[in-house]
Amino acid sequence: MTEITNTVIEVLPRFEGYVYPNEAGPHPLWGFLIVLYPYITGLVAGAFIMASLVRVFKVRELEPVYRLALLTALSFLLCATLPLLFHLGHPERCLEIMMTPHFSSPMAMFGFVYAWYLMAVLLLELWFDYRQDFVRWAKVTPGLKGALYHALTVGVTDVSPAAVALDNKLGWILSIIGIPSAFLLHGYVGFIFGSIKANPWWGNVLMPIIFILSAVVSGIALCVFNYMVLTWIRRRPLDVRCLDAMGMFLFYALVVDAAVEGLDWLHRVYSAEEGFRVLQYMAREKLFYTLSIGQATIGTLLPVLLLGSLQLIRRSVPELVRKRMYFGSAFMVLVGVLAMRWNVVIGGQLFSKSLRGVMGYKLEFAGVEGWLMGAVLLSLPFIILTVCIKLFLSESLPVTEAAHAAGDPRLEPEEVVTT
Amino acid sequence: MPPQIVRLVLLTITIVGSYLVARFFLTPSSFGRYGWYRGEALEELSSRPRSFAGKKACEECHSDECLKLSKAEHHGLSCEGCHGVGQAHADNPDIKIDIRTFSECARCHEANPSRPKWLKQISTKTHYPGQKCTECHVPHQPQEVP
Repeated sequence: MTEITNTVIEVLPRFEGYVYPNEAGPHPLWGFLIVLYPYITGLVAGAFIMASLVRVFKVRELEPVYRLALLTALSFLLCATLPLLFHLGHPERCLEIMMTPHFSSPMAMFGFVYAWYLMAVLLLELWFDYRQDFVRWAKVTPGLKGALYHALTVGVTDVSPAAVALDNKLGWILSIIGIPSAFLLHGYVGFIFGSIKANPWWGNVLMPIIFILSAVVSGIALCVFNYMVLTWIRRRPLDVRCLDAMGMFLFYALVVDAAVEGLDWLHRVYSAEEGFRVLQYMAREKLFYTLSIGQATIGTLLPVLLLGSLQLIRRSVPELVRKRMYFGSAFMVLVGVLAMRWNVVIGGQLFSKSLRGVMGYKLEFAGVEGWLMGAVLLSLPFIILTVCIKLFLSESLPVTEAAHAAGDPRLEPEEVVTT
Repeated sequence: MPPQIVRLVLLTITIVGSYLVARFFLTPSSFGRYGWYRGEALEELSSRPRSFAGKKACEECHSDECLKLSKAEHHGLSCEGCHGVGQAHADNPDIKIDIRTFSECARCHEANPSRPKWLKQISTKTHYPGQKCTECHVPHQPQEVP
């Protein structure tokens, strides 16, 4: 064996310039799974903001996607911590963070933010929104499914107008609490990166704001994507007014996001601090495809042009073309925001602390940090969402007034069952 | 109080109560004794079987090789750094530890711009590829020729 192992372990020169020994490893400490973590969290926050447009800001055109947006937020939130668990490598130890919570670690504090958002905001808002439906469905649905609806009522079967009015009021209050909570959830992820002041790519006070804005953009895009796919699967007509409204909000959010990110770059270019040259090199060489092509062109420029042109000449564009433009824009935004997360997480680890050298990273296929695992993790929320849609947006369930008022698009108004 | 509020309060109390009970039983008793970790972890680690024997153990039988090494540039290196862990071999000499893959040399001598210039460096891709390092170099006496 020793004869054939003369070929030494190849230490690939995956770096250029001056790199410290501890930076010359085969791959960065945070890989693709850590890219997915802010991506998924951002989708959650964005989908929730999308839902709150209906509940808090009373944008009636968006009612058909209200519940879908909340269920999207829930499905993705349930998977938000999985990339971290898999990255750490000991998922069986996940309970330990809850048993011995630490208050001085930024990552451990995320556990509190996550728990607050899941338990105190999203689940409660969903419950208040669905409660009278659960009561109704529990009565008319047999078997396990009926038992599930019955359990979800938590024994509260009062659907009198006063009780329903209280549900709505509490749901509205939770929505109002939920907006800053969603900002906190994703702003905190941005803060984790932005607070690392030793890294010029990350250490930036604008980072939480950029993360929040890109989260809103990606969340709206995901809702557009999910709504269009769901109606296509169900062979139901799309509510074009709703789609136009989503397109409009996506456009405005995208413009604000692009403006703030542009401001960030402008600030970096003008101040040209000591790390600027290496950042410039990164943008031109190492991150060219993900930054210039993925994030700037596919994720921002093309959707802004498509959606912007629709704001100007919407009426003269045929409906089918409009739908395709919305779908294409939403998909490109989703890809672009994923590229943005890549640029932040991987980009921040591709240059040396000496600011005079850069490292490389090749995404592997298999393995814990491979793109196969990434694809599985990104598919999981969609699988959960499918189950949620089957259970809570099913076409076979009777539509109550509450469901219709909450934007359940399944039946026409005359088919609504009075509770 | 409205029934949904009563149920939610009860549910919250149940969840928080279950958490506190779980925390009471699942937090290791020695947690926090010295710091934010299990105090018993130190004893557990120290009770694990030793893997490394240390240079002194090697010297007991291989004093001639150790003497050569001590006079050469590699005098600061540990025996087990290149030969692998040796406690099992020290306990029972029949167990061989010679698991050299010759990647040990490249660990320090592969060209890397971050290394100091005085350290001799080569590129294993171009420096006699396919040949063993020991065909031309003596690790215990790097200045000697075999």
